[in-house]
Amino acid sequence: MILNDINNSSVKTPKKRLSDTQHRHSGEPEKNLPKAQERDSPGLITAGIAHDLNTILTLIYGYSELAMEGLDPSGENYRNINKIIQSADRAKTITGQLLARGIEADHDRITVTVKDVLRETLEFLRPVATDKIILREEILTPGVTVSADPTQLFRVFINLARNAIQAMEEKGGTLTVTLDTRKSAEVRNLPAGKRMADEYALIRFADTGPGMDEATAARMFEPFFTAGKQRMGTGLGLTVASGIISAIDGEIRVTTKKGRGTVIEILIPSLF
Amino acid sequence: MPGVMIVEDDLSLRELLREALEKRKYTVITASDGREAILKFRPSVIDIVITDLLMPEEDGLSVIMNIRKIKPETKIIAISGGGKAGPGSYLNIAKTLGADLIFSKPFLPSELVQKVREILG
Repeated sequence: MILNDINNSSVKTPKKRLSDTQHRHSGEPEKNLPKAQERDSPGLITAGIAHDLNTILTLIYGYSELAMEGLDPSGENYRNINKIIQSADRAKTITGQLLARGIEADHDRITVTVKDVLRETLEFLRPVATDKIILREEILTPGVTVSADPTQLFRVFINLARNAIQAMEEKGGTLTVTLDTRKSAEVRNLPAGKRMADEYALIRFADTGPGMDEATAARMFEPFFTAGKQRMGTGLGLTVASGIISAIDGEIRVTTKKGRGTVIEILIPSLF
Repeated sequence: MPGVMIVEDDLSLRELLREALEKRKYTVITASDGREAILKFRPSVIDIVITDLLMPEEDGLSVIMNIRKIKPETKIIAISGGGKAGPGSYLNIAKTLGADLIFSKPFLPSELVQKVREILG
């Protein structure tokens, strides 16, 4: 059972030789990693989101500018593209405000049916996946709900799934996304300092990509660290993801081995 | 025409900047991170390096320091999407380490191309 495997070890025992590289991210201070409050701080999460958006905005500006070249400034197409740029200007103001004030927007937590967000994620990513990549869905507990901001949850799922897909881009592979539940008794090393629950929603992203060695996996939750193909653009993706999950009393756990793929599991207190 | 190296981990942005510069007849070499940048850097070809700061493997600060050692007269523009509170402070560090110009994302590629033109005189 993968979950049990994960619980058998942690990043705190770097000298221990493991058959698998297993790491647990629960927001606890760990050697060579930033303290939890730094790693998951609202300011850092906000900075990460704003940073990613700024890169996307540069693309919007850039391609709009390219599309305008040679167009008649009095023409409709030119005016429409100009409106795209003006809209990007508005977004730029917002990212600037986020960065300058270091605030985290208040996220609305509601009862979320995890299956719906997960399916939305997979539908969103299906066109991105190449012929070489198979997306599998295993919804074992379709009714499980959690208290979360669905947009934030979507962001986490997208990040993790996209990472897995990118890791398999060269050689192809399978990403299996599973939704299940675990009783608290089945989950060892429950998230420290978090609200305990009788049952947890378990969301698993298992890829057959190249996996990571122990040293790489030990750093994967560091801000700005990006591990080759296991990347999220700025390297803030996993930091942001762990911050979002930690904020709803959840936890992200990773099992990986070089050449054997990566399994990332999210545990979130369920509402039923 | 002068040679430009673009060091940017986001593939789409890397290709966008390449297109914008090649249209202006610059010779462009790209790298996806700091390590690749140093491997590809050709002192006889590259006059200016445009580097993102937050990247995998070796970051942009490392690129600046290495380029300064290899060919000190190379012009360097550092770009980043962060601000004061977050990774933007990297821009200030980049300036301290010797970047000739720092540039915050988002920006219009034409603005960047204009700066390249100005810096290279």
